[in-house]
Amino acid sequence: MNTTYLGLELRRFARDRANLFFIGVLPAFFYIIFGATQAYGGSPLGNGNVALYILVSMAAYGAVTATVGVGGMAAVERMQGWGRQLGLTPLRDGGFVLVKITLAVVVALLPVTLIAVIGALTGAEGTTVAWTLSLLAVAGGACVFALFGLCAGLAFRTEAAVSAASGMVVVLAFLGNVFVPLSGTLLAIAKFTPLYGYVALARYPVTEGRLISGDGASLGSDPLWLPLLNLGVWSAVLAVAAVLLVRRGRERQ
Amino acid sequence: MTHTRPTAPPSPAAATGAPAVELRGLTKTFATRSGDVAAVRGVDLRIETGEVVAVLGPNGAGKTTTIDMLLGLTSPTGGSAEVFGRPPRDAVREGRVSAVLQTGGLLRDLTVRETVRLIASTYDAPAPVEDVIDRAGLGAVASRMVSKCSGGEQQRLRFALALLPDPELLVLDEPTAGMDVTARRDFWRVMHAEAARGRTVVFATHYLEEADDFADRIVVVAQGRVVADGPTAEIRSRAVGRTVHATLPTTGRDDAVATLRRLAGAADVTVQGDRVRVVATDSDAVARTLLVELDAHDLEILTGSLDEAFVALTGAAQTTEEGR
Repeated sequence: MNTTYLGLELRRFARDRANLFFIGVLPAFFYIIFGATQAYGGSPLGNGNVALYILVSMAAYGAVTATVGVGGMAAVERMQGWGRQLGLTPLRDGGFVLVKITLAVVVALLPVTLIAVIGALTGAEGTTVAWTLSLLAVAGGACVFALFGLCAGLAFRTEAAVSAASGMVVVLAFLGNVFVPLSGTLLAIAKFTPLYGYVALARYPVTEGRLISGDGASLGSDPLWLPLLNLGVWSAVLAVAAVLLVRRGRERQ
Repeated sequence: MTHTRPTAPPSPAAATGAPAVELRGLTKTFATRSGDVAAVRGVDLRIETGEVVAVLGPNGAGKTTTIDMLLGLTSPTGGSAEVFGRPPRDAVREGRVSAVLQTGGLLRDLTVRETVRLIASTYDAPAPVEDVIDRAGLGAVASRMVSKCSGGEQQRLRFALALLPDPELLVLDEPTAGMDVTARRDFWRVMHAEAARGRTVVFATHYLEEADDFADRIVVVAQGRVVADGPTAEIRSRAVGRTVHATLPTTGRDDAVATLRRLAGAADVTVQGDRVRVVATDSDAVARTLLVELDAHDLEILTGSLDEAFVALTGAAQTTEEGR
């Protein structure tokens, strides 16, 4: 692993104040507004409480925003000629991908860590197992969505497209039951959207699949295979799309 | 302008006798929506170690595509490319060849020094970062963001990156495109110093003047083929053709023009009123034909500028192409 390259990538990230705000700070702010300061936060839920449930949701949102941005910028950079510059060095494609994946994980850990610390200090509670597994799932699953950013970057080749993809994450988060507990038809639709499986899986150690609604009524629960299937299918769709787009890009060169 | 260069130091390649560059029957065809486009149509080229070669041709002649294949950035549709007897990608990995590419390809939010450090980190034994920055004349702007650098400074940065592996072969694709006159002069001054170290240098340009000033040998490319190849002085004398102007008799003018177009020594024939203008690679032959065969009068022979010479060299290829 080229640590010099990774170090310089982290420095580039730290230079972009807007990114730092949207990826690092905004999700934590959301958590404070919708989790830490709400009366329902303390209600027990599965292996933790509602505050921990909201904490995992916001951490997932923050982590995905981070990986979409990193993946998208990697694609745009390569398209805009940096790939040719790297093609003149001994660095292999695999080495480049490894640097970018590590960068995505490190950047994703920023909102996750910040939210976890704020949560631990403001009343999010759960078993050690629930905390650990949920946060690991948040960080690991987020890597899949680096592919979403990558596809956007490969398809449209502009920084604006990557920003748009990051913005799309907000829409997908609403549709995927991340921000507001959905019910009825919306919940039925949500189960097919990309972020649903990821966030449901990350919450699983806390909820054991139980679905909660805004008014506290029970909505039943998801079996574990459902979020796994959702995440698996979307991973495959994004991976295939990325391969096709890379191939198209190569033919045009 | 001539340049004496010290003999190249013995290199492993020289010992094995492999040329720095060997292209054999190289072709590249791109699939586009409007059908296949042949960018390179069969290039054979051998460059020995220590040579300084200019690849000269108009935009779209296939220079960049040829260079991309020479560097392993694009795979050929047909034929083969070897660098020091090895596949290009291997030669790149071993740091034996590096290149200054055309515009683009830098990260705007890194400083000059950071960019050099980043690329240096991809090599096992790169030249020292500060040393390379000095040699490329970037000392004063090393801490500046790439986005704040002028075009000339960015080009010198690409050049600094190319120096990192201490390459035996340096490839430059239109290295001075977008530079002003001063920056261009500075760039070639630095390049002279590097060539004097005995590196093999191959550069693409569409300025005949640059090729003339800097190269030992010029390879002229047009329409994806090599149309002329030889020592700089020879190409220049061939290229700096003359223009022959004459007035043709009114009767049989079209036939006369057709005769001129068929003439081997005429690269380009244009009719302006009753005057005909012939860009000639052999002005004597053209003049003789005009006066003896075609009964022309008021003949003038003008020595062409470098630009016209360039048209003479590459225009001839175009005429052949259209005649197919």
